Amino acid sequence: MPKKEKILLRASIAFAALFAIAPVSNAMHIMEGYLPAGYCVAWGVICLPFLIAGFISLRNKVNENRRNLTLIAMSGAFIFVISSLKIPSVTGSCSHMTGTGLGAILFGPSAVSILGIIVLIFQAVLLAHGGLTTLGANTFSMAVAGPLVAFGVYRLCGKLKMNRRFGIFLAAFLGDLFTYCVTSIQLALAYPSESGGVLASTVKFLGVFAPTQLPLAVIEGILTVVIVIGLETYAVPELRSLGFPGGKKEVK
Amino acid sequence: MIVIDKLCYQSGLRYVNATEKFVYAMFSLLLCVLSRSVWAPLLVFTANGILTVKKGGIPLFRYIKLLLIPAGFLLVGTAAILVNISKTPLDAFAFPVGTWYITGSRASVLWGGLLCVRALAAVTCLYFLSLNTTMTDILGVLAKLHLPPLVIELMMLVYRFIFVLLETASAIMVSQESRLGNRTFGSGIRAFGGMTASLFILALRKSGALYDAMESRCYDGRIRVLPQENPAKTEEMIMIGAFEIVLAALAFLV
Repeated sequence: MPKKEKILLRASIAFAALFAIAPVSNAMHIMEGYLPAGYCVAWGVICLPFLIAGFISLRNKVNENRRNLTLIAMSGAFIFVISSLKIPSVTGSCSHMTGTGLGAILFGPSAVSILGIIVLIFQAVLLAHGGLTTLGANTFSMAVAGPLVAFGVYRLCGKLKMNRRFGIFLAAFLGDLFTYCVTSIQLALAYPSESGGVLASTVKFLGVFAPTQLPLAVIEGILTVVIVIGLETYAVPELRSLGFPGGKKEVK
Repeated sequence: MIVIDKLCYQSGLRYVNATEKFVYAMFSLLLCVLSRSVWAPLLVFTANGILTVKKGGIPLFRYIKLLLIPAGFLLVGTAAILVNISKTPLDAFAFPVGTWYITGSRASVLWGGLLCVRALAAVTCLYFLSLNTTMTDILGVLAKLHLPPLVIELMMLVYRFIFVLLETASAIMVSQESRLGNRTFGSGIRAFGGMTASLFILALRKSGALYDAMESRCYDGRIRVLPQENPAKTEEMIMIGAFEIVLAALAFLV
């Protein structure tokens, strides 16, 4: 049936053309209003324990030394800034780092949960990446799940005495990848496919986001390694003040 | 530097009571997401467009460009919902590929359309808030909602630091660009990594300096600032109330 094929071709061309016009924000933020209300609330509730743990650890850090307040605030702003800057990429479209891997490695997963939600609020309000109703879902994928995996992988690679740089790459890469998987599952749970249910829908979402997310995860991994190398070269005392384990090793 | 932040300081609605704007945006957003019909989101979309562009004085071209930011996600996500790959064709459209079909049902096409309208309307609610209310005003509203003072204080500091760091980062990036730092992909990656590393060092140093400055001005754990009060007007509150009632009726009854 040539007519139908023609329609299919036209539809796919229109789809591709729209891609060229729309400034695709590559980070995996679920956009405002895209999730049904029930899911928004549910993901928010799931995040709550992590956020409370993060808040308590934050309060203890500030009570321990007031100086930590400005330090933590600066770290939050740092994560926001690196995630809002365009990075050089092969495709030429504007892509952004998520900063989850770097944040988890530098500040630990509990601090990143509360910093992450603050950064996500600012991203929603100032950059329109993500949204207020989808804040819970985005917090879970980008500020809880991703950093936890990145931190776990980073620690595991340290325990296994793997090459440190490769470990950092793996941590950032897998953290990014996991964020993308969690987001796809979140979308699939909200919008299960008519033929095949949640599982088929997950595969579909993974598939449509893969072309942008897979290269991005690799770039994020490489960049995180480059950044950590830079930090270990120039910022050893600063890293040590954060309690970063790698800071001491590199001192000769 | 951040377009939305720059625009909200010029907005005509900037000095309207922040709590009013916050309540209006949040209720409209909520009703948009809860709505079963397409009419409530359409009303929100129009109302926010008029308020932001006409009353707020945000240039229309800018507004449309901002609305396109989430369009990429909307497109890809909705495509994934609409299109199914199965062995049996569904009722709306079906294209055979080998023994399989790229297909979709009529219900899912309607559902996808509603979803797009709903999401775009929700984005206009977010834009209404962020294009007409300054961040410090929003933080003031959050403080009234009894968010822990520590979090509010942290957000205030983060907000301030974002601009300090962005300024530093863009200065470094301009100088890298002028020295052909982004000529190839590899050098681009190296330049970005170097920029981030030095940004981090500068950030830590600045945070120390800021703390010293705060302490020398008798900082005792609370940053106290006097908010500028713009009293809420009764007629505005009545209009917001009426709008939300109409919206709720459209969302649940139609």
